[in-house]
This record gives sequence, structure tokens and C-alpha cells, in this order.
Amino acid sequence: MPVVLYRVDERLIHGQVVVGWGHELRPDRYIVVDDDIAESSWEQELYALGAPEAEVLFTSIAQARERLRMWDTEPVRSVVLTRTVAAMYGLLDGQGGHFDVNLGGLHAGSDRIPVLDYLHLTARDREDLNVLAGQGVTISGRSLPDAPKVPLDTILSS
Amino acid sequence: MLLRSLVIQGVWNYRTMLGAGFAFALLPTLKRVFGDDPVALGQAIERHSEHFNAHPSLAPIALGAIARLETDGADSDTVRRFRTAVCGPLGGLGDTLVWATWLPLVAVCALVLYWFGAPGGGVALTFVVVYNLGHLGLRAWGLRLGLDSGRDVGARLTAADLGGVARRLQGPLALGLGVLCGVILASPEGLAAIGPVWVGFGSLAFLVGLVGGHRAWRPAAVLTVVVIAWFGLWGRFS
Repeated sequence: MPVVLYRVDERLIHGQVVVGWGHELRPDRYIVVDDDIAESSWEQELYALGAPEAEVLFTSIAQARERLRMWDTEPVRSVVLTRTVAAMYGLLDGQGGHFDVNLGGLHAGSDRIPVLDYLHLTARDREDLNVLAGQGVTISGRSLPDAPKVPLDTILSS
Repeated sequence: MLLRSLVIQGVWNYRTMLGAGFAFALLPTLKRVFGDDPVALGQAIERHSEHFNAHPSLAPIALGAIARLETDGADSDTVRRFRTAVCGPLGGLGDTLVWATWLPLVAVCALVLYWFGAPGGGVALTFVVVYNLGHLGLRAWGLRLGLDSGRDVGARLTAADLGGVARRLQGPLALGLGVLCGVILASPEGLAAIGPVWVGFGSLAFLVGLVGGHRAWRPAAVLTVVVIAWFGLWGRFS
């Protein structure tokens, strides 16, 4: 089965992901792509507690880029999570093929501009998303499966 | 800190959720750690007022752990990353243990007592006391766990197996719910006495919930309140 969701969410594994998207997509595995967390055992313990019923895998961006095609062909349903737009950009930039990225939760910060209730982007985030969109990646905002899907054009024009 | 944690939702908002309440609960610790440096104290308060969301009954685990981190002089990046990482598990575990298990278990037991003839006031008091024994005990335990564990609270939480505790309590909950349904169906003052109109409304609400899922609860709740109010006014003026 393919990767069933690529999501940018700074809280990574939490209720919206495990209950909201999890009940809809029934993933067997959550893959957290993050260079810092891949080397941090205490963070891995905390995040793994959020999805007790599924396998949780932590990997660096470089390792994830090598395994991306393999995850798409394995017989398990995977959700790929990054906590920043930059990490998702690092994962998908130049990969080709069709990817559908969900922007799920980036909260307020001093250098972030609010674009949706659950989405605050930096200027760099906007640039990275534009580049990915130019490479054929479909990007939209959506906190939960039953929430309205907001296309990238609408997000960037807000 | 435990008392302050009781009002952690006091200024809940969509932007920072529990953030401001979290900083308020942590303030005594921050003053103790940064008391001589007003700039560092201000930065710490600002840092802890940022977005934070977890189950309020388990938030003391995060408060205790972060109090320990700040007291031990952890750098601000570690504190921020811990704060973000701890939200998910504390939200999920709290929802499962408190909202989906402990609260309904105590409520169902109280309703069973009432249907077996216990006085209403006594039942209400029993419910409040028993629920809060568990709820406040959980908060106190969580705060101690966080203070003892600091950054490594994840391993202690895994060992505590709160999910397993919830699963063990769900058996008695299902039993209590079955007993309650039985007495409501069998009692002469139960469903048999409420008449076909209310049974019809109940069935309609069940069907709407079945078809619409959780999206239907808000309009269904509004409709229910309107219908009850209409019946109340009708009875008053007819």
C-alpha cells in the first residue's frame, strides 16, 4: 500500500492525527521525518506514546529520501509526518512523481503570519511550498478529514 | 503549582490554547529560578505562554517535568521541544483515561445508584466526591511523576501504562452501562412510561447520530434544547 498521508504538523503525533486521520485512513505505521528527533531517544519515547496501536518510526530527512519509494510499495499503510515545512521540502524536493501534502498544524510564532486558524507560515515556508508546487506536488491545508480542503493558492493569497 | 493547575484552562483560546494557563501555573517555579534576572524571567514567561495543548488532568505531568527542566538549567530549545513533544501523548492518554473512561464510569455508577432508589442529593454528592478523588489524585500523581522524571518522563509514562488502566476500567464501565440500560428498560418509571413521542424523538436522534456521526451532534443538541423548551412553554401556557 502507498503512503496514505504526507502531513506537516508541528505537534506530529497527537489526537487530530491519530484519532481524526487515523480512523479515516487506518495506518499501520507513523513515520516521523526529523533530523533532531531521529537522534533524541527521550523525544521518541514521548511521541511513540501518542500512537500505542501502531508502529512509530523515526528517521532523518536523508534516510527518508532513500526509503521513500520503498515505503510506497510496502504492504503497510504509512503516514509520513514532519513538524516543519522545511523538513517536508527536504524530503520531497526533486523526488518527482505525484505527492499530495497536507498542511495540518503550524501554530502562531513570532516570525509566522497567520493564514488559517491552524496554519501560520514564515516567508521561507511560502517559498518552499511554491517550489514544491512548481515540481508538481499537490499541497492543501486541512486540519481534519471532514474539514474543508484549502488549496495552496488560497493559502498563499491570504 | 498543583492548585494553579486547576485553572490551567482559565484563559483558553484558539491561538495558544492552554498556553497562558500553563505559564500561570509555572510562575512560582519561574520566579524561583529567574528571580534575580527580570529579563530572563520575562523571556521564560513568554516562552511558556506559547501554544500548549494537552488534557487538563494530565497537564501537571508536563508542568512538573518542565519545572524540573527549568530548575536544572536546561536550555530553552530543549524546554520548547519537550513542551511540544509532550502535548500529543498527554492529550490522547487523558482523553482515553478521563473523558472516555473515568467520568462516564463514575456517572453511570451514580445513575445506577439513583435508579436503585438512593436519594438524588446523596447521589450527586457521591458523584462529585468520587470523580474528584480520582481526578485530583491523578493530577497530584502526575505532578510528582513529572518532577521526579524531568525530560525522561516518557519512559515513566510507558511503564505506568495509563492506557492499560483505562482498558481495565472499561470492563466495569460496560457492566454499569448494561445494568443502567436494564433498569431503565425494566422500571415502570423508565422508558415504558415516557410515551411514544419521546421514544420517537430518541429514535430520530439515534438515526441522525448514526448517519451524521459526530458532525450531527451540534445541530442535534440545538434541536433537542429547542424541542424541550417548546414542550416546556407549551405545558406552562396551555
